[in-house]
This record gives sequence, C-alpha cells and structure tokens, in this order.
Amino acid sequence: MELIELTNSYPEELVKLGYETLERVSRSSFPPQRLIDIEEEDSFYHFELGDDSRQITPIMLHLSGDVRPVFGVDTSSIDLGETVNGILFAVRGSVVWRDLGKYQYVRHGPFIFHISEKDRRHLFKLLRKEYLNDMSRITAPSLEWISGSFRSILERWLQRQIAESCEHCLLLWDGSMTAVAVFNPTSFLSKMLKTARENGNCILAFSKKTKLMVSGSRVNSLIRDSWVPCLVNIDSAVRKQYGNRLRFLGRVYAAKFEPGLLTFRVDIDRKIPEDEGIKAVESLINSDRVNDSYPETLRLAHVLSRFSASEVLAMQRYVAENHGLRIVSRFGVRQILFGPYGGKSGFSEVMGQIDGSL
Amino acid sequence: MVVYKVSGNTFQIVACPPEDLRKGDYLLVRDSVLNRSLIIQVINTEYANVPGLLEDILRESSTEQIVGTELDILEMKTYMDMIKDAQLFTCKIRKSIINGTVNDDISWTPNRTTSRLVHVRDEDLMKLAGIGGDPSIKVGKTRSGAEVSTMLKDYDGCLNIVAGKKGSGKSHLAKLLLLGLISNGGVCVVFDINGEYINLGRDSGGRTGEFNEKIIAFTPGFNFKVTLQYIGLGVVLSLMSSVVDLPPSSASEFRQIWKQLESSSQLTLHKLRVAIGSIKNDFIREALIRRFDTLLSTNFFTDDQTEALTLEGIFSQLSKGGALVIDLSKTAPMFRKMIVEFVLRKLSYLLERWVLRAVFLFAEEAHLYLRETYWEDVVTRMRHLGLFATFVTNQPDSVDHGIYRQADNIFLFNFTNENDLSVVSRATMVDVDTINIIAKELSPRHCLMLGKVVKGFPLIVKVNPLQVRTMGETRLFFVNLIK
Repeated sequence: MELIELTNSYPEELVKLGYETLERVSRSSFPPQRLIDIEEEDSFYHFELGDDSRQITPIMLHLSGDVRPVFGVDTSSIDLGETVNGILFAVRGSVVWRDLGKYQYVRHGPFIFHISEKDRRHLFKLLRKEYLNDMSRITAPSLEWISGSFRSILERWLQRQIAESCEHCLLLWDGSMTAVAVFNPTSFLSKMLKTARENGNCILAFSKKTKLMVSGSRVNSLIRDSWVPCLVNIDSAVRKQYGNRLRFLGRVYAAKFEPGLLTFRVDIDRKIPEDEGIKAVESLINSDRVNDSYPETLRLAHVLSRFSASEVLAMQRYVAENHGLRIVSRFGVRQILFGPYGGKSGFSEVMGQIDGSL
Repeated sequence: MVVYKVSGNTFQIVACPPEDLRKGDYLLVRDSVLNRSLIIQVINTEYANVPGLLEDILRESSTEQIVGTELDILEMKTYMDMIKDAQLFTCKIRKSIINGTVNDDISWTPNRTTSRLVHVRDEDLMKLAGIGGDPSIKVGKTRSGAEVSTMLKDYDGCLNIVAGKKGSGKSHLAKLLLLGLISNGGVCVVFDINGEYINLGRDSGGRTGEFNEKIIAFTPGFNFKVTLQYIGLGVVLSLMSSVVDLPPSSASEFRQIWKQLESSSQLTLHKLRVAIGSIKNDFIREALIRRFDTLLSTNFFTDDQTEALTLEGIFSQLSKGGALVIDLSKTAPMFRKMIVEFVLRKLSYLLERWVLRAVFLFAEEAHLYLRETYWEDVVTRMRHLGLFATFVTNQPDSVDHGIYRQADNIFLFNFTNENDLSVVSRATMVDVDTINIIAKELSPRHCLMLGKVVKGFPLIVKVNPLQVRTMGETRLFFVNLIK
C-alpha cells in the first residue's frame, strides 16, 4: 500500500454535498454550538455476563506473531451550530498506518454540512446510496443524530478503501462489528469483511467504551495482570444475551495486552477461523506499538480526526466568511430562567466570550 | 480587531486575523455613537487564549514525527492557523479625541460592540498630538519610518533624564540633543566623565566639523585653571570642607588669612601658602597645610592671569550657541566634585545676575561627582534661575527618586534589570506596565520617549546617527581578530 493510493481518492460526493448544503443556507445567522465531540457510541449495549463466565479461561497470546502492516481508521463529527431550519456540523476522518516501523497518515476533511429538516431524508438516502451502496428504506436519523450518521458513512467509506486496497495487512477499526441498520448496514459490512478476507487482511475492531460486566463487576477485573497479553472469549455469552436483537459479524473478545487498568472489547471477523484471528492479534502486538493495551495506529487515527475547540472556531469563521452565515450569541434558556443558578460548563462560557469577537 | 476587556485604563483587544501591531503602536477606539475616540497604545502582545489550543499543540507534538497528507479540500488549515494566531493586545489609554481635538478626559468607556478600532499611523499620531514643529530637534524615526522631531520649547526650562543600560545608546542621544540645542543657539555645559564629548567639533572622519566653533573643551588642571580671586573665598571654603573635610576651626583661621591677603591685594597661591605656614597653632596649621597642598596638587589654581580662565570669558565665545565641555576623565575622583561644584556655583552666580540667560547642563553619571544635596539644588533652585539639567545615567537608582517625579522628559533606553525599571517607573508621566514591558525589549539605539517632548504620548524612536566624532564606543582589544 502506497501513500499515493490513499491520497488519490477523496469523498468527492461528500465535498460537493457539503458545499451545496452550505450554499442553500447562505447569509443567515446561527448561534455557536456547545463543543461536544460526537463519536459513535460504539458499544452502548450493557453486557451482563452470567456467573458461568467465571469459568472462562484466558487465551494466552504469544509474542512471536509475524510483522504485518497495520492500518487504523477513525472519524469524528462535531456540531458547529444551529440555524433556523437546520443544523451545521463537520466531519473528519483519518487513516494511520504503520509499515516498516514508521507511521504515516492521511487525513480527510473537515467536511462541513448544513442539513435541514426538509432535506434530511433525501441527503441521507443519497449518501448511503453513494458510499454504502445501500438502497434500503431506512428511516433517516433525526437532526440531532444526523451528524453521527454522516460521520459513520465517512468512516465506512474509509474502511472500504483500506479493505479494497490493502493486502495481508491488519486493519483496525474503531468500534465494533455489530451491524445496526442505520449506522452499519449488514450487507455493506459483510461485503467489506469479505473483500478484506479475499485480500488476505484481517479486521480487528477495538471498542473503547464497552461496559462489559460480570456479576456486577466490570470486565476489567476479569483479566488478571499475570495473564497478559491475553484474550478472553466472551462471544457466546454476549450473543446469548443479544443474539436476536443485534447481528454480530465479529467474534467478541475481552482483550488485555499490558498489565494495568484497561481492558478492551475486540471483535474479530467471524468468518476467519478462530486460531487465525488469535494469530492476527499476536501479529498486531508484534507489528504495532501498544500502550495501555490499545494499538498506537488507532490512537493516532483518533487524535488526528478529533476536533478541537479552536478548529470549531475556525470552521465557524469559514462558514461566516464563505457562505455569509453570521454567528450570533446563543440563547441560553437556563441562564434566563435560573440566572446565576442556571449552571453552565466552563467550556461554553469561554466560547461565549471568544465567539463574539472572532 | 475588537475590544475584549476594559479594566481601569487598560484595554484588551482581540485581533483575528492577527494584525501587524507591535508594542508602542497606537490605536484609535472610535465610538461613532458618542462621536468620541480613545487613543490607546499597545504595550504588550500575546496569543489569545483560544479554547482548544493546548489540545492542538499536544496533538501536533504527538504526530509531528509522522509523515502525513492532508486532504483539506476546503483549505480549512488557513482558518485554523488564523485562529491559532489570534492575538491579544494589552493597551493603555493615553488620551481621547473629543470634538476633533485631543483631550485629557479618559473617564468614559466606548461602546464595546459598535466601537471600531483603527491603527493610527505614526505620522498621523504626531500630527494629531502636535509633536514636532519648528524650531525643533530631529531625534530619530519611529519603526514605521516616521521622522520624530521634538520642539525646542519642550526642553526649555525642563528637567530631562536619559537612562539606559550600558551600550544602549543613551550617550549618543545626549550628544544628539546637545548638538540640537547648540545648533539653535542654546548654551550648554557638559560634565564629561568619559571624555567623549570633547571631539564633537570634529566630523566622524576626525576632520574639523560643523560644530568646531561651538564646542569648547577644557580639562581642569591642564587648560582650565582659575585664580583665587575668581573662585572666591566662599567656593574655596566650601570645597575645602566638602572635598577635603576641613574642620570648622581651621576654616575660620583660613577665612581670616584669606581676607587679610585679599584686602591687601596680595592674594596669591604662594602668599596664602606662606601665611598658612605661619599659623601658630600646630594642629590648625598642619590641617590647613595638608588640605591646601592637596587642593594645589590639582593644578586647577593659578596666579598667572594669562593662563587663568573665567566662565564669563568662555561663554562670551558661545554667545551664538555652543557647549562648554569640561573633561573630567583625567581628573581624580575626589577633585571632580570640586570642579563641578565650582562650575555650578559660578553658573548660579552668572544666572542670578543675568550674565547668562539660561544654560542647558548635561551631566553623565552625575552621582560620580555631585553630592546628593546638590541634586535638589540643581533641579529646583537652579532650574528657576535658568539651569536646565539633562541627567544621563545607567544606574537609575543613583538618581534621587524626587528627580524622577520632577522630570519633564524621560528618554528610556533598554533595561533588563527589574530593580532599575522599578526606579524609573516612579516617574509620574507614565504607568509602570509601559515601562516594565517596553523598556525591556528596546533594541540598541531605540528609546522610549516620555513627557512633554512627545506631548504625553510615549513613543518608541530609533535615534538618528550622528555625523560627528562621538568617541562613546568602548575601546576593544580583539577588534582585528573579530570581523
């Protein structure tokens, strides 16, 4: 995989769409949005494992796996503000890879959109068709969640690029391999996993926010430090609980590579034989830096895609200058109702001070 | 640019995109509703505390070793860089403009949202403030290249202080001011502690220069000698008590001898020495002989009328303007005080009697030759008589605090020492922050001008070069090796 291959393609339709949506809303005003980074809550399922899970034995990992190129993909979205009839937000994605001991990256975006209630469904459908090749009649998310769905589409597009163009690599996803109709259509995910397999790749999905519990205790306490690096297969327990409601395209493990507090949920393509999947994890430990049991490529992809407060200010300025959107002070219901007892985060207070001036 | 905060006489201005403003620049806060403007000066510049900046820096530092490609189709980086470079300017209110004229009323606050901020060009500021105009001394240029002239009337009757650390250019400015004054007919006296004013009559190549006729340099004990009659009993007694610690009883005996010789027109050095030698009281005699001989050893006194000088005679040569440079560089420290006190007493005498209209006094490192009690006399009583002093120092704490408060003009060069700055900041003409922040960062030959000469608008000025032989540079040993 060469850098040039990744940098040659960009989500053209996404750029075009973003520009068109901004042009439609030109010369109106919007209040700046509170800075909340919206990422896919990749595991908002709360796993409660039965008492029998205590019997689960760890799969000890060997540090003799082969060294392979590692690719990590992450995306993020952020709301920039609201207009009278819609929402203004930005998405950005990064691909980081490590090969021959060196890290490289490609960062796409930011792409800025203004989506109104009127064109929400149409645009959502258009993008799914364009990027996920999905023409099913899925209900478009509400405006509140629309930025997350656009982010998800960008992420899947990036993941597909990697799956199609890489061979014999480890592909790391941020999140899980659980198919959900809105964000992760089953057909698209299955096809992407298949393409990756055919190219000799192995996809490993890391969830940062899984709340796996065993008899009321977090899964973190499930793996002893003396076992690391190891995996614990929790697939059957998870599937038993959620099997009918969710589609698990990956085999679910709890993973801990280093002694410490952190344990992650790792999904490995179910269609890959289990021992091959475990070897892929061993290969990952050998091929990438691992800090706090988390692969560095994914950490970097996250760092590069995340928006900072100053970038939000920059994007607000961009839309103000290029599309005539005027930034106005936010209408604070809590402040009006409760005055000094209304409470506000320090972050938005700072934003309020600086926004008016920039 | 917009107003961010106002507190007391301090404004904080946010600029995004960043403005090319530097410390010392002026802005106009124009309130069109009130039809008034505030003139504010930038005293400090820093990055605005933009939220998320630390996160950006940490992110960049963690990925700086990684080769990457940015597919930034919207070219957002330009905007992001702009936000990161957003500046916060701390400014001080100097004056206001009400009804089109400069006004001292700064008690009002302009509207934050409707006020407009305009960068004032140096030329416009000087025109607005009335800085310059004929007759004047061309001091230098602002950073933007605007010529800064100071009106002569703003030196007349004024007390000036030129302060700065070694090598900052303070003596250079003092010479420029001196030449400016004498060019316009001013009469000056220079106490030249390092012998660096004596060749101002020559051009930079060492040839006879434009000021040759106007600079008269004398070295006490060599070509500057006076008779006892000219110096007078009062001065000699004062010198003997202050310089060589003559006890009062001995002074009384000396006074009697002097008067006797003077009444019989026999007052000469030789006869005075003989008369002292004939005093019967051994203690008084020995005390007087020792001190008198010490005075004589300076060679400043003479009985020979042909080699004796008078200040009246010297000043008569400078009637169209000029400077009497008294070279103290070859004089022993204890006798510098004697020479200086003699000159000041004589000047005071001549001014009281209107022999001289006024004299501009230039005193470099005056603490080395002027008693503390004399400071007050120079800046108060003698000032009223027409002695207008310019003190030049690299040790601000050597100048009495009261003098800073009475100073009309201060020319401040670079100081890095906090203690030095805190002394200078006692001057009432400007706030402490302005001095503490700006003076620390002044480049060599750049000074912060404060006071009447700049009509209360502190200005950073690069002092003009001089086309005369200044001799103020330190002699170097390795000059041929280091090129």
